[in-house]
Amino acid sequence: MNNILMQLDSYFYPVILASIIAGASTGLLGVFIIGMRMPFIGTCISHASMAGFIYGGLLAFNNPVLWPITTSLGCVLASVISAVSLATIREDKTRLDKNVGLAIIFCLMLGITFLGIGFNQGSRTDMLNLLWGNILFVDRARAITIAVMAVVLILFVTLFNKEMKILLFSRSIAAATGVHESFVYCLFLILCGVVLAVNLPLIGGLMIFSLITCPAAAAYQVCTGYIPVIITSSFFGMLSALAGFLFSYFLNLPTGACIVIVSVAIFALTTIYKNIADRHD
Amino acid sequence: MIAGNLHLSNIRVVRAGRVILNIENLQIRSGDFTGIIGTNGAGKTTLLRLCCGLIKPNTGSIKLDGTDFTKLSAWSKSNLRKHIGYIPQQAEYNPDLPFTLREVVAMGRTSIKPLLQRLDNDDFEIVDDWINKLGLADNRNQTFRSLSGGEQQKALIARAMAQNPGILMLDEPCSNLDFKWKYQITEIIDKLHIMTKITILMVSHETNLLPTGCKRAVLLHKGNLVTDGDMDKVLTSNQFEQAYGCQFETISLGGRKYTINKAIK
Repeated sequence: MNNILMQLDSYFYPVILASIIAGASTGLLGVFIIGMRMPFIGTCISHASMAGFIYGGLLAFNNPVLWPITTSLGCVLASVISAVSLATIREDKTRLDKNVGLAIIFCLMLGITFLGIGFNQGSRTDMLNLLWGNILFVDRARAITIAVMAVVLILFVTLFNKEMKILLFSRSIAAATGVHESFVYCLFLILCGVVLAVNLPLIGGLMIFSLITCPAAAAYQVCTGYIPVIITSSFFGMLSALAGFLFSYFLNLPTGACIVIVSVAIFALTTIYKNIADRHD
Repeated sequence: MIAGNLHLSNIRVVRAGRVILNIENLQIRSGDFTGIIGTNGAGKTTLLRLCCGLIKPNTGSIKLDGTDFTKLSAWSKSNLRKHIGYIPQQAEYNPDLPFTLREVVAMGRTSIKPLLQRLDNDDFEIVDDWINKLGLADNRNQTFRSLSGGEQQKALIARAMAQNPGILMLDEPCSNLDFKWKYQITEIIDKLHIMTKITILMVSHETNLLPTGCKRAVLLHKGNLVTDGDMDKVLTSNQFEQAYGCQFETISLGGRKYTINKAIK
């Protein structure tokens, strides 16, 4: 491992670090998103974030000083707004499946995003990078922001450990037995929005879906108990990001695609392992 | 812990222009074991969710120990619900997650502890005590998803009881279970009532699955409370046959009456 790292340009160290932390964060988020059966949320929030980026960029058009600030704020604000909109869709009240609600908000965000791209007079490279992700987006400040948000996410999961556990199992039971589930769920979605918005330039709107889904789905296959699932999913997320990055670097392949393929491969391996283990039981 | 007195008055729940529940007056006294019966779509689950304060009625009040759910903020409602043990139908929880049985039972302590506070050894003593009482000690570290339907139901009862509730609400706890488990779960609920004397509300469309300790029945039909009173009297009433749309014969067994559809007989 040391030899491999020695061959890397030192420019890539913050990139690798940010990739690993982003993988762990999305892996951790995935435990809850997959457990609550709403994998589409990542795509939905990330497209909202893209819309925020585009309109933030339009606000500071031709102003290189303001541009990074308005685009970052736009990303976070749009993600939080979409997350709060999702929190207001209550299946028992609207009689609308949460995934249908997610799909509708996703469609709206997609429409707003492409409308914004249409308004944009300049280069569209940055916007398309946001769709696919680009590790060149990562500088020292971005790496620190990603790390800080990862710490906030870990703190949230630790502090609301018992509430998040029952939310995963049943929101109905949580609500009926006096858990402040709407409050915790809303907090979680807002945090989800911010974490995804911060990680988006690195991972990309489309790839984020695989990093949320595959590590968590793999962890659910092989683990017993809540804590092991959380640790394993975060580890699988980190592994996907690191291995994907190294493959792409040494084989000169697109990074996003490599990370997606590694994460799916991890899921496939755990499924095979689970099937073999079940046969021997 | 609360006493578990429940009083519903002038309740009307209207959804999409249709009255789905209409109850003038329903009083459940502390320690009562009441069965909510009726055919599918009669409004039994709606009534149970209403009693938890999960559904807001268009008119009327729902008082738990004198506190009206309809007048509380969302936060205060949650605080009052800490005293309610709730066992939903299977569609309302996710049995596929790899939680251990002990983790699921420990969820019963979640609302007892304030936000940001972790469960401590005292909580886990209560959790383990209920696991033992329900005969699940050998399955403690097994995943919930690997348990049989009956064992899962026992775990959910242990979870509800670990909460130390003042009132226990069960929504069709015997549905999807085989014959043996249906009667085992019924017996467990009966024993729980004898042991703890807490108020129990149990929804069941199969009247024969109500435990012997359940002395009172509330019959719902098309959202209306048709009759309410002594179980044996309700089961032999005309309203019961009308609600279920068939003729019944009742037989006495072990100190209580069971209904048999005459057509089946």
